[in-house]
Amino acid sequence: MQYFKLPAGIRDILPAESEKLDAAEETLRKKFRAAGFSSVRTAGLEYYDTFANIKSSVEQNKMFKMTDKDGNLIVLRPDMTLACARIAATKLREGAAKLCYFSNIYDFSAGGNSDREVAQAGVEIFGEGGALSDAKAVAFAIDCLKSVGLKDFIVDIGHVGFYKGLLEGSGLSGAAAEEIRGYINAKDAVNTEIALKRHGASERAQAAILALPSLFGGAAVLDEAEKLTDNALALSSIEHLRRVYAHLKDLKAEKYVSFDLGTVKSLSYYSGMVFTGLAEGVGAPVLSGGRYDELCAQFGKDLSAVGFAIGLMRVLRALEAKEAEQC
Amino acid sequence: MLNVALAKGRLADSCADIFLKCGIRAEILKEETRKLVLETPDKKFRFFFVKPADVPTYVEYGIADIGIVGKDTLLEAGADLYEMLDLKFEKCRLCLAGFPEKKAALSSPHLRVATKYVNTAKKLFFSRGEDVEIIKLNGSIELAPLTGLADVIFDIVQSGGTLRANGLVVLEEVFDISARLVANKVSLKTKAAEVLPLIAEMKKYIEG
Repeated sequence: MQYFKLPAGIRDILPAESEKLDAAEETLRKKFRAAGFSSVRTAGLEYYDTFANIKSSVEQNKMFKMTDKDGNLIVLRPDMTLACARIAATKLREGAAKLCYFSNIYDFSAGGNSDREVAQAGVEIFGEGGALSDAKAVAFAIDCLKSVGLKDFIVDIGHVGFYKGLLEGSGLSGAAAEEIRGYINAKDAVNTEIALKRHGASERAQAAILALPSLFGGAAVLDEAEKLTDNALALSSIEHLRRVYAHLKDLKAEKYVSFDLGTVKSLSYYSGMVFTGLAEGVGAPVLSGGRYDELCAQFGKDLSAVGFAIGLMRVLRALEAKEAEQC
Repeated sequence: MLNVALAKGRLADSCADIFLKCGIRAEILKEETRKLVLETPDKKFRFFFVKPADVPTYVEYGIADIGIVGKDTLLEAGADLYEMLDLKFEKCRLCLAGFPEKKAALSSPHLRVATKYVNTAKKLFFSRGEDVEIIKLNGSIELAPLTGLADVIFDIVQSGGTLRANGLVVLEEVFDISARLVANKVSLKTKAAEVLPLIAEMKKYIEG
């Protein structure tokens, strides 16, 4: 009898819920098609080395691993962006491509408020760079969340270049930077300060990095951030976000937008703007995305790229929470 | 309405004081009651009373928008949330303690460590590159070295009274602990208009 049950963090979706999921998928399918995206179904199993050998990829403990007949290590697809980047770089002839997908990804280490099997709907745009492309991706993400029925949500924008810039000339080692990144991501100012002192970061860098956890809110945080540093990379990141924001205003999407420069994700392929969709009623992001201009080159073709994925079950949960509130 | 998870017990009293001083109508927290959910009269806040170890869980899942909990519990839970403020009360230390002669044994191979902070202890010794045997206990940790169950203990020390009464000493102070205000990663942004003024007010109170 115990074998009729499911492993932890995995579940069946029964008809009542499946119907809602289908409806959301259908809406998004239409949306993606109308915006010119072509759908792909990437392989469910891939070589472990595909994900392990490229720089800044999926952490080893996040992958479901198995051994293939020939002894090679294979994994259950851990990430759709990596799979799409691999396809765009190695299998599509033209450089520019707009791909979309409806697929599950698998996260071995997930727990708490995250499932180990995650149904995602997402888009990846290859061969387009710049602030306008970033703004269009964010505006499209907003559009998609609206189309599935979400109302009270925001898209929170950050930039990986800002923290990277602050690190330059701070005197911090890679390991120290990674430790501090963890504290910043948790907005843990106490430990950020202790670690900065212990690792002996330069004074200017200490002040700037210590300000990161509170650098979130409206577009005004960009002004605050600018005052903290002279670093060229950090300043150009802020300048870039300003341009993105200006475009978002033109696209009439700015009321859904906020900024957080303290969002410094773990070792990831993101190279520029990053964004997450946050909806009331679910304690975790419903959407996550960003620009990854350096990833495709690792698969053999230099393509700038931006994309995002929507967590469909979390969207359903947000919609349910809203319904429950209105009852 | 802002949902607040509070740890039952002593911490809850200190929290009630801070909330009142910050102008929140938290008198209800002072009343003797067996209710698990309490709302302020102005319906701006809803408080949940949970076991300390469950505060990070309620906040991570977004059931509570914010919570107040000890740093020791946060270290142990490893939950994905924002740690907004050091409230600077309920101060204590997470220490390695044992008989004085065990000081030299702290880096010996196969040290036996009794603790209720299993995850934190694992991380600590892993970061030091030491293999240890961690023995999970749920209370009266000090008994472990006395009875020979473990070489040392890893536990919070407030006054050190229990240690002294049993001939034990602090061998190493590892972490400074105090109460922290934590926030759900989504609520901080989607309910910013409610959360941020509260944090600012509490910050003013602590620093004032």
